[in-house]
Amino acid sequence: MSASSTALQHAQKSRAAAQGRSNHRTRRNTLAAVLFLAPTVILIVVLRLLPTITAINQSVHQGVPGSLNPPTFVGGQVFIDLFQSASFWQTVEQTLIFNVIVNPLQIVLSLLLAVLLTRGLPGSGLWRTIIFLPAAVPMAGSAIVWGLALEPNGPVNGALEALGLPGGRFLTSPSDVVGSIILIASWIGVGYWMMFLIAGLNDIPGVYYEASKIDGAGPIRTFFSITIPLLRRPLLFVLVADTVSNFVLFAPVQILTNGGPQGKSNFLMFDIYNQAFNLSNPYTAAAELMVLLVIMIAIVTVQFKLLGSGDDE
Amino acid sequence: MTQKKIARGLLTALAIVVSLLFLLPVLWLLASTFRTSNETFADSSPLSWAVLWPQHWTLVNIKSAIDNGFLLNLSNSLIVAAVTIVVGLAISAMSAFALAVIPFKGRAATFSIVVLSFLVPFEAIAIPLSQSFSQWGLTNTMLALILPGLGNGLAVFTLRQFFLGVPTSLAEAAELDGAGWWRIFWSVYLPLSRPAMIGASLILFLFQWQAYLWPILVVSNQTLDLAPVAIAKSFGAFTTNYGQVFAETAVLAIIPAIVLLALQRFFVASVATTGSKE
Repeated sequence: MSASSTALQHAQKSRAAAQGRSNHRTRRNTLAAVLFLAPTVILIVVLRLLPTITAINQSVHQGVPGSLNPPTFVGGQVFIDLFQSASFWQTVEQTLIFNVIVNPLQIVLSLLLAVLLTRGLPGSGLWRTIIFLPAAVPMAGSAIVWGLALEPNGPVNGALEALGLPGGRFLTSPSDVVGSIILIASWIGVGYWMMFLIAGLNDIPGVYYEASKIDGAGPIRTFFSITIPLLRRPLLFVLVADTVSNFVLFAPVQILTNGGPQGKSNFLMFDIYNQAFNLSNPYTAAAELMVLLVIMIAIVTVQFKLLGSGDDE
Repeated sequence: MTQKKIARGLLTALAIVVSLLFLLPVLWLLASTFRTSNETFADSSPLSWAVLWPQHWTLVNIKSAIDNGFLLNLSNSLIVAAVTIVVGLAISAMSAFALAVIPFKGRAATFSIVVLSFLVPFEAIAIPLSQSFSQWGLTNTMLALILPGLGNGLAVFTLRQFFLGVPTSLAEAAELDGAGWWRIFWSVYLPLSRPAMIGASLILFLFQWQAYLWPILVVSNQTLDLAPVAIAKSFGAFTTNYGQVFAETAVLAIIPAIVLLALQRFFVASVATTGSKE
């Protein structure tokens, strides 16, 4: 190593000195960057790129799992079969309904809470921590606690009855199950995204608020003309990250409802798992994964278009 | 002036009510840890104050969790989280340093690739990846549980943003003293970055502490089960001992709660960079 680098240095001395030094420097920097980045890049290739290629490849093949015969190339046949299946479209529809409700709801709640808890109210730090806490509890644990709380003889029904309201069969009734999962996912997620927005709000320079106060703007006007525009970047990040994480929500569905009742909570992510492991259809699962990725990319692209194109880019 | 005071009082009350709503399930979880399953449901239907304060305190659930081997699952989770934090932090900090400090051709492109590749959520490609892991003979190993936690885009991103804020004159001065990139990284940047490193550790920790789908894909051997998986399994069993499930979940929730209470501000400081401009 050191012998070759001294040899390099000798060779460079014979060239124009300044030019040689800067070349050497560039090469040294590139080498250092490669070494510093190598572990991350290897992880990306092995853990992200490779499985994506595996899934693409699987989605155009068909075979009998466990058989010794290699799978055969079938082109778009798996997709054609998939698109002709009514239960697949129900899965897509349920996934979209769930996401259309849960993402705006979580973002609005997180934003309102972030604004509320950055106003210097007494005990703000404590309220923040409490609301953030569910995000740190493993999702499997939160799901189970909520599953028990939503039991017919559990405390949620107990509270509803105490208020004179009709109780529900939250996780076993087809009309309630999506709402129940939205409740659980939001209890877990809202505090987490709130933290990102609080951090973003703290970054907004106070002079903007002073200026708007001098102009006589009320709190609502200030919120829409100062806070929202200046919060655009963190807001976009939270919106995209939240959307993506809700599209792959898995633990509450697998633990509490198994996609039921009547397929109402059979979201794409759970169906992919179900196809791959319970129904032994890895090829259908791979094709569904492609559909999930395409839907996610499409929605994230729209979100970037809506929020990302601004004056300062 | 008084009107302002009333408004502040109302907003504070609102903040308290909302945090109570978030806290109630946790309080119910803690109370249910210290009473029998029968009593848990007797207290909630019809609802009484005892729902949040056990009438007969008992440690039977905790004993049942320990007898069921929960301590092994818990130590598996702790080992996976600890190794992920140490190794993941080293890997993330190194790449963040290269992306923020070392000038090289294609840096912007490399940064985009790193960020974009991490935008695909791990859960989405976990199933095809688990099939590769089984081909590579990694199923039922600690290594399989740890690997996916090591590369974390959010950790890389926040560390890079922090490193960008370190004055370049420090690196230049060290370079004049003859320090190479490794020395600059190790002796200049890392000591300055403690808050960012703590924030990144929290991000890495939360990822592994939350892991559920991946562990059920790559581990079938019960002695390697992580705590959340063990809880879900005993919840799904036919003879469900709900009390034990409550006790196990409470332990699993208390650990991150303590960590977060102590280190929350570092988390906020590190996520503050996610929305920032270049």
